[in-house]
Amino acid sequence: MSTEIANQHWDIFCEVVDNYGDIGVTWRLAKQLVKEYQIDINLWVDDLNSFSHILPGLKPDQATQTFDRVTIHQWNVPLDINFVPGAVLIEAFACELPEQVKSQLIAQQQSPDDTPPLWLNLEYLSAEDWVEGCHGLPSMQASGIKKYFYFPGFTPKTGGLICENELLEQRTAWQSDPANKLALFSQLGLSGIDVQDKVISVFSYETLALPALCQQWQESTQKIHALLPKGRSLNSLTHLLPCSVEALTPGQQIVINNLTLHILPMTDQPSFDRLLWSCDFNIVRGEDSFLRAQWAAKPFIWHIYPQEDDYHLVKLEAFISLYCDNLAPEIAKYWTELNLAFNQEQQSAVNLHWQNLDSVNLPLLQHAQKWPIFALNDADLATRLVQFVKNS
Amino acid sequence: MKTAHEIRPGNVIMLNGSPWVVQKTETTRSGRNAAIVKMKLKNVLLDSTTETTFKGDDKMEDIILERLDCTYSYFADPMYVFMDAEYNQYDVESGNLGDAAAYITDGMEEICQVTFYEGKAISVELPTTIVREVTYTEPSARGDTSGKVMKPATVAGGATLSVADFIKTGEMIEIDPRTGEFKKRA
Repeated sequence: MSTEIANQHWDIFCEVVDNYGDIGVTWRLAKQLVKEYQIDINLWVDDLNSFSHILPGLKPDQATQTFDRVTIHQWNVPLDINFVPGAVLIEAFACELPEQVKSQLIAQQQSPDDTPPLWLNLEYLSAEDWVEGCHGLPSMQASGIKKYFYFPGFTPKTGGLICENELLEQRTAWQSDPANKLALFSQLGLSGIDVQDKVISVFSYETLALPALCQQWQESTQKIHALLPKGRSLNSLTHLLPCSVEALTPGQQIVINNLTLHILPMTDQPSFDRLLWSCDFNIVRGEDSFLRAQWAAKPFIWHIYPQEDDYHLVKLEAFISLYCDNLAPEIAKYWTELNLAFNQEQQSAVNLHWQNLDSVNLPLLQHAQKWPIFALNDADLATRLVQFVKNS
Repeated sequence: MKTAHEIRPGNVIMLNGSPWVVQKTETTRSGRNAAIVKMKLKNVLLDSTTETTFKGDDKMEDIILERLDCTYSYFADPMYVFMDAEYNQYDVESGNLGDAAAYITDGMEEICQVTFYEGKAISVELPTTIVREVTYTEPSARGDTSGKVMKPATVAGGATLSVADFIKTGEMIEIDPRTGEFKKRA
Protein backbone atom coordinates (compact mmCIF):
# COMPACT_ATOMS: atom_id res chain seq x y z
CA MET A 1 0.00 0.00 0.00
CA SER A 2 1.35 3.36 -1.00
CA THR A 3 2.17 5.72 1.84
CA GLU A 4 0.66 8.49 -0.31
CA ILE A 5 -2.78 7.10 0.47
CA ALA A 6 -2.33 5.21 3.74
CA ASN A 7 -3.07 7.35 6.80
CA GLN A 8 -4.85 9.97 4.76
CA HIS A 9 -8.15 11.15 6.12
CA TRP A 10 -11.21 11.02 3.87
CA ASP A 11 -14.78 12.14 4.57
CA ILE A 12 -17.88 10.40 3.23
CA PHE A 13 -21.28 12.10 3.52
CA CYS A 14 -24.37 9.92 3.30
CA GLU A 15 -28.00 10.98 3.35
CA VAL A 16 -30.22 8.01 4.19
CA VAL A 17 -33.09 7.89 1.71
CA ASP A 18 -34.24 4.29 1.63
CA ASN A 19 -33.37 2.87 5.05
CA TYR A 20 -30.58 0.43 4.15
CA GLY A 21 -29.49 1.05 0.55
CA ASP A 22 -27.42 4.24 0.60
CA ILE A 23 -26.02 3.62 4.04
CA GLY A 24 -25.38 -0.03 3.15
CA VAL A 25 -23.15 0.96 0.25
CA THR A 26 -21.28 3.74 2.04
CA TRP A 27 -20.75 1.69 5.20
CA ARG A 28 -19.23 -1.17 3.20
CA LEU A 29 -17.00 1.23 1.28
CA ALA A 30 -15.86 2.98 4.46
CA LYS A 31 -14.95 -0.32 6.15
CA GLN A 32 -13.07 -1.55 3.10
CA LEU A 33 -11.05 1.66 2.69
CA VAL A 34 -9.99 1.47 6.33
CA LYS A 35 -9.20 -2.23 6.33
CA GLU A 36 -7.53 -2.63 2.96
CA TYR A 37 -6.01 0.80 2.41
CA GLN A 38 -5.42 2.08 5.97
CA ILE A 39 -7.28 5.31 5.18
CA ASP A 40 -8.87 7.11 8.14
CA ILE A 41 -12.53 7.46 7.27
CA ASN A 42 -15.07 9.86 8.76
CA LEU A 43 -18.54 8.71 7.77
CA TRP A 44 -21.17 11.44 8.20
CA VAL A 45 -24.71 10.05 8.32
CA ASP A 46 -27.95 12.00 8.72
CA ASP A 47 -30.02 9.10 10.08
CA LEU A 48 -28.24 6.99 12.66
CA ASN A 49 -31.48 5.28 13.58
CA SER A 50 -31.77 3.60 10.16
CA PHE A 51 -28.04 2.91 10.21
CA SER A 52 -28.39 1.08 13.53
CA HIS A 53 -30.54 -1.59 11.85
CA ILE A 54 -27.53 -2.83 9.90
CA LEU A 55 -25.02 -1.92 12.61
CA PRO A 56 -26.72 -3.13 15.80
CA GLY A 57 -24.13 -1.69 18.21
CA LEU A 58 -24.58 1.86 16.92
CA LYS A 59 -26.14 4.30 19.35
CA PRO A 60 -28.44 6.69 17.41
CA ASP A 61 -28.21 9.36 20.11
CA GLN A 62 -24.41 9.49 20.16
CA ALA A 63 -22.85 12.17 17.94
CA THR A 64 -19.52 10.44 17.31
CA GLN A 65 -18.59 6.77 17.66
CA THR A 66 -16.18 4.31 16.10
CA PHE A 67 -16.89 0.90 14.59
CA ASP A 68 -14.50 -1.22 12.54
CA ARG A 69 -12.06 1.70 12.83
CA VAL A 70 -14.48 3.98 10.93
CA THR A 71 -15.40 7.19 12.76
CA ILE A 72 -19.13 7.72 12.43
CA HIS A 73 -20.49 11.25 12.88
CA GLN A 74 -24.10 12.36 13.19
CA TRP A 75 -24.71 14.76 10.30
CA ASN A 76 -27.01 17.41 11.71
CA VAL A 77 -28.21 20.52 9.91
CA PRO A 78 -26.51 22.84 10.65
CA LEU A 79 -23.45 20.70 11.19
CA ASP A 80 -22.65 20.79 14.91
CA ILE A 81 -19.40 18.83 14.74
CA ASN A 82 -16.29 20.62 13.56
CA PHE A 83 -15.49 19.58 10.00
CA VAL A 84 -11.77 19.32 9.28
CA PRO A 85 -11.16 18.74 5.56
CA GLY A 86 -9.05 15.75 4.62
CA ALA A 87 -7.53 14.57 1.34
CA VAL A 88 -10.78 13.35 -0.22
CA LEU A 89 -14.41 14.35 0.22
CA ILE A 90 -17.11 11.99 -1.07
CA GLU A 91 -20.76 12.99 -1.34
CA ALA A 92 -22.62 9.73 -1.73
CA PHE A 93 -25.41 9.53 -4.28
CA ALA A 94 -25.41 13.25 -5.07
CA CYS A 95 -26.35 14.29 -1.53
CA GLU A 96 -26.05 18.03 -0.91
CA LEU A 97 -23.05 18.84 1.29
CA PRO A 98 -23.62 21.05 4.36
CA GLU A 99 -23.10 24.77 3.78
CA GLN A 100 -20.31 24.86 6.35
CA VAL A 101 -18.39 22.24 4.42
CA LYS A 102 -18.82 24.03 1.10
CA SER A 103 -17.74 27.32 2.69
CA GLN A 104 -14.57 25.67 3.96
CA LEU A 105 -13.80 24.28 0.52
CA ILE A 106 -14.16 27.75 -1.01
CA ALA A 107 -11.91 29.24 1.67
CA GLN A 108 -9.28 26.61 0.96
CA GLN A 109 -9.59 27.24 -2.78
CA GLN A 110 -9.03 30.95 -2.27
CA SER A 111 -6.08 30.53 0.09
CA PRO A 112 -2.65 30.46 -1.57
CA ASP A 113 -1.39 28.11 1.16
CA ASP A 114 -4.16 25.56 1.08
CA THR A 115 -5.76 23.06 -1.30
CA PRO A 116 -9.28 21.74 -0.98
CA PRO A 117 -9.81 17.98 -0.82
CA LEU A 118 -10.48 16.00 -3.97
CA TRP A 119 -14.26 16.25 -4.18
CA LEU A 120 -16.14 13.25 -5.56
CA ASN A 121 -19.80 12.51 -6.14
CA LEU A 122 -20.21 8.75 -5.78
CA GLU A 123 -23.15 7.93 -8.04
CA TYR A 124 -25.64 5.09 -8.22
CA LEU A 125 -24.74 1.83 -9.90
CA SER A 126 -26.03 1.37 -13.42
CA ALA A 127 -25.17 -1.03 -16.24
CA GLU A 128 -26.21 1.46 -18.93
CA ASP A 129 -23.76 2.33 -21.71
CA TRP A 130 -23.67 6.06 -20.95
CA VAL A 131 -21.96 5.44 -17.60
CA GLU A 132 -18.60 4.86 -19.32
CA GLY A 133 -18.83 8.30 -20.94
CA CYS A 134 -19.59 10.11 -17.70
CA HIS A 135 -17.37 8.26 -15.21
CA GLY A 136 -14.52 10.40 -13.94
CA LEU A 137 -15.62 13.60 -15.66
CA PRO A 138 -15.15 16.86 -13.78
CA SER A 139 -18.07 19.01 -12.81
CA MET A 140 -17.14 22.68 -12.77
CA GLN A 141 -18.69 24.44 -9.82
CA ALA A 142 -19.44 28.16 -9.72
CA SER A 143 -16.88 28.44 -6.92
CA GLY A 144 -14.14 27.27 -9.27
CA ILE A 145 -13.67 24.01 -7.40
CA LYS A 146 -13.84 20.90 -9.50
CA LYS A 147 -15.97 18.02 -8.38
CA TYR A 148 -15.65 14.65 -10.11
CA PHE A 149 -18.45 12.21 -10.86
CA TYR A 150 -17.50 8.69 -9.89
CA PHE A 151 -19.75 6.03 -11.40
CA PRO A 152 -19.69 2.42 -10.20
CA GLY A 153 -20.12 -0.01 -13.05
CA PHE A 154 -19.54 -3.37 -14.62
CA THR A 155 -16.95 -2.51 -17.27
CA PRO A 156 -13.26 -1.54 -17.15
CA LYS A 157 -14.06 2.07 -18.10
CA THR A 158 -16.27 2.58 -15.04
CA GLY A 159 -15.57 2.89 -11.32
CA GLY A 160 -16.07 -0.81 -10.56
CA LEU A 161 -18.13 -2.65 -7.96
CA ILE A 162 -17.76 -2.82 -4.19
CA CYS A 163 -16.28 -6.19 -3.31
CA GLU A 164 -13.92 -6.81 -0.42
CA ASN A 165 -10.61 -8.55 -1.10
CA GLU A 166 -11.32 -11.85 0.60
CA LEU A 167 -15.09 -11.96 0.12
CA LEU A 168 -15.30 -14.47 -2.71
CA GLU A 169 -12.86 -16.86 -1.00
CA GLN A 170 -14.85 -16.62 2.23
CA ARG A 171 -18.05 -17.34 0.34
CA THR A 172 -16.57 -20.39 -1.42
CA ALA A 173 -15.35 -21.78 1.89
CA TRP A 174 -18.73 -21.16 3.49
CA GLN A 175 -20.68 -22.85 0.71
CA SER A 176 -18.40 -25.90 0.70
CA ASP A 177 -19.97 -27.18 3.92
CA PRO A 178 -23.79 -27.38 4.22
CA ALA A 179 -23.42 -27.42 8.01
CA ASN A 180 -22.58 -23.69 7.81
CA LYS A 181 -25.95 -22.70 6.45
CA LEU A 182 -27.87 -24.86 8.90
CA ALA A 183 -25.87 -23.34 11.75
CA LEU A 184 -26.65 -19.84 10.46
CA PHE A 185 -30.37 -20.56 10.18
CA SER A 186 -30.33 -21.86 13.72
CA GLN A 187 -28.40 -18.81 14.93
CA LEU A 188 -31.02 -16.56 13.27
CA GLY A 189 -33.77 -18.43 15.12
CA LEU A 190 -35.10 -20.15 11.98
CA SER A 191 -36.18 -23.69 12.77
CA GLY A 192 -37.43 -26.66 10.76
CA ILE A 193 -35.17 -26.19 7.74
CA ASP A 194 -33.63 -29.41 6.40
CA VAL A 195 -30.59 -29.47 4.19
CA GLN A 196 -32.58 -30.67 1.11
CA ASP A 197 -35.30 -28.01 1.46
CA LYS A 198 -35.35 -25.04 -0.90
CA VAL A 199 -34.56 -21.78 0.90
CA ILE A 200 -35.36 -18.40 -0.67
CA SER A 201 -34.49 -15.04 0.83
CA VAL A 202 -36.91 -12.23 0.02
CA PHE A 203 -35.82 -8.60 0.32
CA SER A 204 -37.99 -6.75 -2.19
CA TYR A 205 -40.19 -3.68 -2.37
CA GLU A 206 -43.96 -4.12 -2.32
CA THR A 207 -45.13 -6.07 -5.37
CA LEU A 208 -48.06 -8.17 -6.57
CA ALA A 209 -45.54 -10.68 -7.92
CA LEU A 210 -44.80 -11.95 -4.39
CA PRO A 211 -48.26 -13.28 -3.50
CA ALA A 212 -48.32 -15.01 -6.89
CA LEU A 213 -45.02 -16.72 -6.19
CA CYS A 214 -46.10 -17.66 -2.68
CA GLN A 215 -49.21 -19.29 -4.11
CA GLN A 216 -47.01 -21.41 -6.35
CA TRP A 217 -44.55 -22.22 -3.59
CA GLN A 218 -47.40 -23.46 -1.38
CA GLU A 219 -48.23 -26.06 -4.01
CA SER A 220 -44.65 -27.13 -4.60
CA THR A 221 -43.73 -30.80 -4.16
CA GLN A 222 -40.58 -29.70 -2.37
CA LYS A 223 -40.60 -27.94 0.98
CA ILE A 224 -39.88 -24.24 0.47
CA HIS A 225 -38.78 -21.78 3.13
CA ALA A 226 -39.12 -18.07 2.36
CA LEU A 227 -37.05 -15.88 4.69
CA LEU A 228 -38.34 -12.31 5.01
CA PRO A 229 -37.28 -9.45 7.27
CA LYS A 230 -40.02 -7.24 8.67
CA GLY A 231 -40.60 -4.57 6.08
CA ARG A 232 -41.71 -3.90 2.57
CA SER A 233 -41.88 -7.46 1.17
CA LEU A 234 -44.27 -8.49 3.94
CA ASN A 235 -46.54 -5.54 3.10
CA SER A 236 -47.43 -7.50 -0.04
CA LEU A 237 -48.27 -10.68 1.88
CA THR A 238 -50.58 -9.37 4.60
CA HIS A 239 -53.34 -11.76 3.45
CA LEU A 240 -51.13 -14.68 4.50
CA LEU A 241 -50.21 -13.29 7.91
CA PRO A 242 -51.95 -14.06 11.20
CA CYS A 243 -51.35 -10.52 12.46
CA SER A 244 -50.13 -7.12 11.27
CA VAL A 245 -46.58 -6.82 9.92
CA GLU A 246 -45.67 -4.70 12.97
CA ALA A 247 -46.81 -7.44 15.34
CA LEU A 248 -44.66 -10.15 13.73
CA THR A 249 -41.63 -11.30 15.70
CA PRO A 250 -38.28 -12.57 14.40
CA GLY A 251 -38.25 -16.36 14.21
CA GLN A 252 -42.02 -16.53 13.79
CA GLN A 253 -43.20 -19.06 11.20
CA ILE A 254 -46.31 -19.08 9.03
CA VAL A 255 -46.86 -22.52 7.48
CA ILE A 256 -49.07 -22.76 4.39
CA ASN A 257 -48.95 -26.26 2.91
CA ASN A 258 -45.39 -26.79 1.66
CA LEU A 259 -44.40 -23.15 2.11
CA THR A 260 -43.07 -21.81 5.39
CA LEU A 261 -42.62 -18.07 5.77
CA HIS A 262 -39.91 -17.26 8.34
CA ILE A 263 -39.61 -13.80 9.85
CA LEU A 264 -35.95 -12.81 9.84
CA PRO A 265 -34.29 -10.69 12.50
CA MET A 266 -32.36 -7.66 11.23
CA THR A 267 -28.72 -8.60 10.81
CA ASP A 268 -25.45 -6.82 10.30
CA GLN A 269 -23.83 -6.83 6.87
CA PRO A 270 -21.55 -9.89 7.35
CA SER A 271 -24.54 -11.96 8.52
CA PHE A 272 -26.64 -10.72 5.61
CA ASP A 273 -23.90 -11.83 3.21
CA ARG A 274 -23.81 -15.27 4.81
CA LEU A 275 -27.60 -15.46 4.57
CA LEU A 276 -27.45 -14.80 0.82
CA TRP A 277 -24.65 -17.39 0.48
CA SER A 278 -26.84 -19.93 2.32
CA CYS A 279 -30.05 -19.60 0.31
CA ASP A 280 -30.82 -21.38 -2.94
CA PHE A 281 -32.38 -18.30 -4.46
CA ASN A 282 -32.36 -14.63 -3.47
CA ILE A 283 -34.87 -11.91 -4.25
CA VAL A 284 -33.07 -8.62 -3.70
CA ARG A 285 -33.68 -4.95 -4.31
CA GLY A 286 -32.03 -1.57 -4.85
CA GLU A 287 -28.26 -1.47 -5.09
CA ASP A 288 -26.52 -2.94 -2.05
CA SER A 289 -28.35 -6.27 -1.73
CA PHE A 290 -28.45 -6.52 -5.54
CA LEU A 291 -24.66 -6.52 -5.64
CA ARG A 292 -24.28 -8.82 -2.65
CA ALA A 293 -26.63 -11.33 -4.31
CA GLN A 294 -24.27 -11.40 -7.27
CA TRP A 295 -21.30 -12.11 -5.01
CA ALA A 296 -23.38 -14.87 -3.36
CA ALA A 297 -23.16 -16.78 -6.66
CA LYS A 298 -26.75 -17.95 -6.45
CA PRO A 299 -29.66 -17.31 -8.85
CA PHE A 300 -31.57 -14.16 -8.03
CA ILE A 301 -34.34 -11.76 -8.99
CA TRP A 302 -33.47 -8.07 -8.92
CA HIS A 303 -36.38 -5.88 -7.81
CA ILE A 304 -35.06 -2.58 -9.06
CA TYR A 305 -35.98 0.76 -7.45
CA PRO A 306 -39.00 2.02 -9.42
CA GLN A 307 -38.52 5.24 -11.39
CA GLU A 308 -40.79 7.66 -13.24
CA ASP A 309 -41.92 6.63 -16.73
CA ASP A 310 -40.78 3.07 -16.00
CA TYR A 311 -37.20 4.19 -16.60
CA HIS A 312 -36.06 1.52 -14.15
CA LEU A 313 -36.90 -1.04 -16.82
CA VAL A 314 -34.25 0.53 -19.07
CA LYS A 315 -31.72 0.08 -16.26
CA LEU A 316 -32.92 -3.46 -15.58
CA GLU A 317 -32.61 -4.42 -19.25
CA ALA A 318 -29.10 -2.94 -19.41
CA PHE A 319 -28.04 -5.21 -16.55
CA ILE A 320 -29.87 -8.20 -18.00
CA SER A 321 -28.02 -7.71 -21.27
CA LEU A 322 -24.66 -7.86 -19.47
CA TYR A 323 -25.60 -10.71 -17.15
CA CYS A 324 -26.93 -12.87 -19.98
CA ASP A 325 -24.04 -12.23 -22.35
CA ASN A 326 -22.45 -15.64 -21.76
CA LEU A 327 -25.59 -17.48 -20.77
CA ALA A 328 -27.21 -20.16 -22.95
CA PRO A 329 -30.07 -18.52 -24.91
CA GLU A 330 -32.83 -20.62 -23.35
CA ILE A 331 -31.70 -19.93 -19.79
CA ALA A 332 -31.12 -16.26 -20.57
CA LYS A 333 -34.67 -16.05 -21.90
CA TYR A 334 -36.19 -17.64 -18.78
CA TRP A 335 -34.12 -15.52 -16.39
CA THR A 336 -34.88 -12.32 -18.33
CA GLU A 337 -38.59 -13.03 -18.48
CA LEU A 338 -38.75 -13.82 -14.78
CA ASN A 339 -37.01 -10.56 -13.81
CA LEU A 340 -39.15 -8.47 -16.17
CA ALA A 341 -42.37 -10.11 -15.02
CA PHE A 342 -41.46 -9.65 -11.35
CA ASN A 343 -40.63 -5.98 -11.87
CA GLN A 344 -43.84 -5.39 -13.84
CA GLU A 345 -45.96 -7.25 -11.26
CA GLN A 346 -47.29 -9.67 -13.87
CA GLN A 347 -48.65 -12.41 -11.63
CA SER A 348 -49.37 -15.22 -14.07
CA ALA A 349 -46.21 -14.52 -16.08
CA VAL A 350 -44.01 -14.55 -12.99
CA ASN A 351 -45.36 -17.98 -12.07
CA LEU A 352 -44.83 -19.37 -15.55
CA HIS A 353 -41.27 -18.04 -15.77
CA TRP A 354 -40.44 -19.27 -12.26
CA GLN A 355 -41.38 -22.78 -13.35
CA ASN A 356 -39.32 -22.44 -16.54
CA LEU A 357 -36.31 -21.20 -14.63
CA ASP A 358 -36.65 -23.94 -12.06
CA SER A 359 -36.16 -26.47 -14.84
CA VAL A 360 -32.70 -25.07 -15.68
CA ASN A 361 -31.52 -24.44 -12.15
CA LEU A 362 -28.16 -26.17 -12.42
CA PRO A 363 -26.73 -24.32 -15.45
CA LEU A 364 -28.06 -21.05 -14.02
CA LEU A 365 -26.25 -21.79 -10.77
CA GLN A 366 -23.04 -22.50 -12.70
CA HIS A 367 -23.40 -19.15 -14.47
CA ALA A 368 -24.00 -17.38 -11.17
CA GLN A 369 -20.75 -18.88 -9.86
CA LYS A 370 -18.72 -17.59 -12.82
CA TRP A 371 -20.35 -14.15 -12.97
CA PRO A 372 -18.50 -12.36 -10.12
CA ILE A 373 -15.10 -12.76 -11.76
CA PHE A 374 -16.46 -11.44 -15.04
CA ALA A 375 -18.27 -8.54 -13.36
CA LEU A 376 -15.29 -7.41 -11.32
CA ASN A 377 -12.97 -7.07 -14.34
CA ASP A 378 -9.87 -7.57 -12.16
CA ALA A 379 -10.47 -4.56 -9.92
CA ASP A 380 -13.15 -3.70 -7.38
CA LEU A 381 -14.49 -0.21 -6.69
CA ALA A 382 -12.21 0.63 -3.75
CA THR A 383 -9.11 -0.33 -5.73
CA ARG A 384 -10.19 1.78 -8.69
CA LEU A 385 -11.23 4.64 -6.43
CA VAL A 386 -7.83 4.75 -4.74
CA GLN A 387 -6.15 4.68 -8.15
CA PHE A 388 -8.44 7.49 -9.34
CA VAL A 389 -7.43 9.59 -6.34
CA LYS A 390 -3.73 8.90 -6.96
CA ASN A 391 -4.07 9.92 -10.61
CA SER A 392 -6.08 13.08 -9.92
CA MET B 1 -29.77 31.38 -13.18
CA LYS B 2 -30.79 28.16 -14.90
CA THR B 3 -30.44 24.57 -13.81
CA ALA B 4 -28.17 22.27 -15.79
CA HIS B 5 -31.30 20.46 -16.91
CA GLU B 6 -32.59 23.67 -18.56
CA ILE B 7 -29.41 24.51 -20.44
CA ARG B 8 -29.53 23.89 -24.20
CA PRO B 9 -26.90 23.76 -26.95
CA GLY B 10 -26.16 27.29 -28.08
CA ASN B 11 -26.55 28.78 -24.59
CA VAL B 12 -23.55 30.57 -23.11
CA ILE B 13 -22.87 29.90 -19.43
CA MET B 14 -20.47 31.48 -16.97
CA LEU B 15 -18.30 29.00 -15.08
CA ASN B 16 -15.19 29.64 -13.07
CA GLY B 17 -15.06 33.22 -14.35
CA SER B 18 -15.16 32.32 -18.05
CA PRO B 19 -17.95 32.24 -20.65
CA TRP B 20 -18.53 28.82 -22.22
CA VAL B 21 -20.60 28.00 -25.28
CA VAL B 22 -22.66 24.89 -24.73
CA GLN B 23 -22.06 22.73 -27.78
CA LYS B 24 -23.85 19.58 -26.72
CA THR B 25 -25.97 18.37 -23.82
CA GLU B 26 -26.89 14.82 -22.95
CA THR B 27 -29.30 14.14 -20.10
CA THR B 28 -29.44 10.73 -18.47
CA ARG B 29 -31.14 9.41 -15.39
CA SER B 30 -29.29 8.22 -12.37
CA GLY B 31 -30.88 6.35 -9.47
CA ARG B 32 -34.04 7.67 -7.80
CA ASN B 33 -35.01 9.79 -10.83
CA ALA B 34 -32.11 12.22 -10.46
CA ALA B 35 -30.95 13.72 -13.75
CA ILE B 36 -27.32 13.88 -14.80
CA VAL B 37 -26.35 16.29 -17.56
CA LYS B 38 -23.19 15.79 -19.56
CA MET B 39 -22.10 18.84 -21.53
CA LYS B 40 -19.52 19.59 -24.16
CA LEU B 41 -18.38 23.17 -23.60
CA LYS B 42 -16.15 25.55 -25.49
CA ASN B 43 -14.33 28.28 -23.63
CA VAL B 44 -15.06 31.47 -25.57
CA LEU B 45 -11.85 33.16 -24.39
CA LEU B 46 -9.39 30.31 -24.74
CA ASP B 47 -11.00 28.46 -27.66
CA SER B 48 -10.56 25.17 -25.73
CA THR B 49 -13.21 22.50 -25.29
CA THR B 50 -14.02 20.27 -22.34
CA GLU B 51 -16.52 17.66 -21.29
CA THR B 52 -18.14 18.07 -17.92
CA THR B 53 -20.97 16.58 -15.88
CA PHE B 54 -23.56 18.22 -13.66
CA LYS B 55 -26.39 17.20 -11.42
CA GLY B 56 -29.62 18.15 -13.19
CA ASP B 57 -30.48 20.71 -10.51
CA ASP B 58 -27.02 22.35 -10.36
CA LYS B 59 -27.52 26.06 -10.92
CA MET B 60 -25.45 28.06 -13.38
CA GLU B 61 -25.42 31.54 -14.82
CA ASP B 62 -26.84 31.65 -18.34
CA ILE B 63 -25.32 34.87 -19.68
CA ILE B 64 -27.30 36.98 -22.08
CA LEU B 65 -25.13 38.18 -24.89
CA GLU B 66 -26.00 40.15 -27.99
CA ARG B 67 -28.20 38.15 -30.32
CA LEU B 68 -29.39 38.70 -33.86
CA ASP B 69 -32.11 37.02 -35.88
CA CYS B 70 -30.47 35.48 -38.94
CA THR B 71 -31.10 32.92 -41.63
CA TYR B 72 -28.70 30.23 -42.76
CA SER B 73 -26.91 31.16 -45.94
CA TYR B 74 -24.26 28.57 -46.87
CA PHE B 75 -21.49 26.33 -45.57
CA ALA B 76 -17.85 27.18 -46.22
CA ASP B 77 -15.99 24.42 -44.42
CA PRO B 78 -15.51 24.70 -41.43
CA MET B 79 -17.78 27.75 -41.11
CA TYR B 80 -21.53 28.03 -41.32
CA VAL B 81 -22.47 31.44 -42.71
CA PHE B 82 -25.60 33.20 -41.47
CA MET B 83 -27.09 36.46 -42.69
CA ASP B 84 -29.16 39.10 -40.92
CA ALA B 85 -32.00 41.20 -42.35
CA GLU B 86 -29.52 43.78 -43.57
CA TYR B 87 -27.52 41.17 -45.48
CA ASN B 88 -24.57 41.23 -43.08
CA GLN B 89 -22.87 37.84 -42.97
CA TYR B 90 -21.60 36.10 -39.85
CA ASP B 91 -19.36 33.04 -39.75
CA VAL B 92 -19.92 30.46 -37.00
CA GLU B 93 -17.52 27.55 -36.52
CA SER B 94 -19.18 24.21 -37.14
CA GLY B 95 -18.06 22.91 -33.73
CA ASN B 96 -19.97 25.72 -32.04
CA LEU B 97 -23.25 24.53 -33.54
CA GLY B 98 -22.98 21.22 -31.71
CA ASP B 99 -25.87 18.89 -32.51
CA ALA B 100 -27.74 21.74 -34.24
CA ALA B 101 -25.45 21.31 -37.24
CA ALA B 102 -27.26 18.10 -38.09
CA TYR B 103 -30.47 20.06 -38.66
CA ILE B 104 -28.96 22.67 -40.98
CA THR B 105 -30.11 22.24 -44.56
CA ASP B 106 -29.58 24.27 -47.73
CA GLY B 107 -32.46 26.63 -48.31
CA MET B 108 -33.81 26.39 -44.77
CA GLU B 109 -35.94 29.41 -43.97
CA GLU B 110 -36.26 29.20 -40.19
CA ILE B 111 -35.07 32.23 -38.25
CA CYS B 112 -32.05 31.32 -36.11
CA GLN B 113 -30.51 33.35 -33.32
CA VAL B 114 -26.81 34.04 -33.67
CA THR B 115 -25.06 34.92 -30.39
CA PHE B 116 -22.11 37.30 -30.26
CA TYR B 117 -19.33 37.74 -27.75
CA GLU B 118 -17.16 40.85 -28.18
CA GLY B 119 -18.33 41.19 -31.75
CA LYS B 120 -17.62 37.58 -32.73
CA ALA B 121 -20.41 35.15 -33.65
CA ILE B 122 -19.96 32.26 -31.23
CA SER B 123 -23.11 30.15 -31.37
CA VAL B 124 -26.43 29.59 -33.05
CA GLU B 125 -29.77 28.53 -31.63
CA LEU B 126 -32.40 27.08 -33.91
CA PRO B 127 -36.12 27.67 -33.28
CA THR B 128 -37.71 25.34 -30.75
CA THR B 129 -39.69 23.68 -33.54
CA ILE B 130 -38.42 22.92 -37.01
CA VAL B 131 -39.88 20.83 -39.82
CA ARG B 132 -37.67 18.32 -41.65
CA GLU B 133 -38.17 15.57 -44.19
CA VAL B 134 -37.50 12.02 -43.06
CA THR B 135 -34.88 10.78 -45.50
CA TYR B 136 -34.82 7.24 -44.17
CA THR B 137 -36.62 5.07 -41.68
CA GLU B 138 -37.48 1.38 -41.63
CA PRO B 139 -41.07 0.50 -42.48
CA SER B 140 -43.40 0.12 -39.50
CA ALA B 141 -42.69 -3.19 -37.80
CA ARG B 142 -45.77 -3.50 -35.64
CA GLY B 143 -48.41 -1.39 -37.34
CA ASP B 144 -48.67 0.73 -34.19
CA THR B 145 -50.63 3.94 -34.61
CA SER B 146 -50.62 5.15 -31.00
CA GLY B 147 -47.31 6.98 -31.33
CA LYS B 148 -45.89 5.19 -28.30
CA VAL B 149 -43.72 2.74 -30.22
CA MET B 150 -40.62 4.49 -31.54
CA LYS B 151 -38.01 3.66 -34.17
CA PRO B 152 -34.88 5.43 -35.47
CA ALA B 153 -35.05 7.79 -38.42
CA THR B 154 -32.69 10.07 -40.32
CA VAL B 155 -33.86 13.52 -41.39
CA ALA B 156 -32.63 16.07 -43.93
CA GLY B 157 -29.41 17.56 -42.57
CA GLY B 158 -28.26 14.19 -41.25
CA ALA B 159 -29.67 14.10 -37.71
CA THR B 160 -30.92 10.78 -36.42
CA LEU B 161 -33.70 10.63 -33.84
CA SER B 162 -36.49 8.43 -32.59
CA VAL B 163 -39.81 8.89 -34.35
CA ALA B 164 -43.22 7.28 -33.97
CA ASP B 165 -43.47 3.89 -35.61
CA PHE B 166 -46.10 5.07 -38.11
CA ILE B 167 -43.79 7.67 -39.73
CA LYS B 168 -42.62 6.81 -43.26
CA THR B 169 -39.65 7.88 -45.36
CA GLY B 170 -40.44 11.09 -47.23
CA GLU B 171 -42.83 12.47 -44.62
CA MET B 172 -42.33 15.86 -42.98
CA ILE B 173 -42.08 15.89 -39.18
CA GLU B 174 -41.83 18.48 -36.43
CA ILE B 175 -38.72 18.27 -34.22
CA ASP B 176 -37.40 20.13 -31.19
CA PRO B 177 -33.76 20.58 -32.30
CA ARG B 178 -32.63 21.41 -28.75
CA THR B 179 -33.40 17.90 -27.57
CA GLY B 180 -33.75 15.99 -30.84
CA GLU B 181 -37.26 15.10 -29.77
CA PHE B 182 -39.85 14.09 -32.38
CA LYS B 183 -43.03 16.11 -31.83
CA LYS B 184 -45.51 15.06 -34.51
CA ARG B 185 -46.14 14.55 -38.19
CA ALA B 186 -46.11 18.01 -39.89
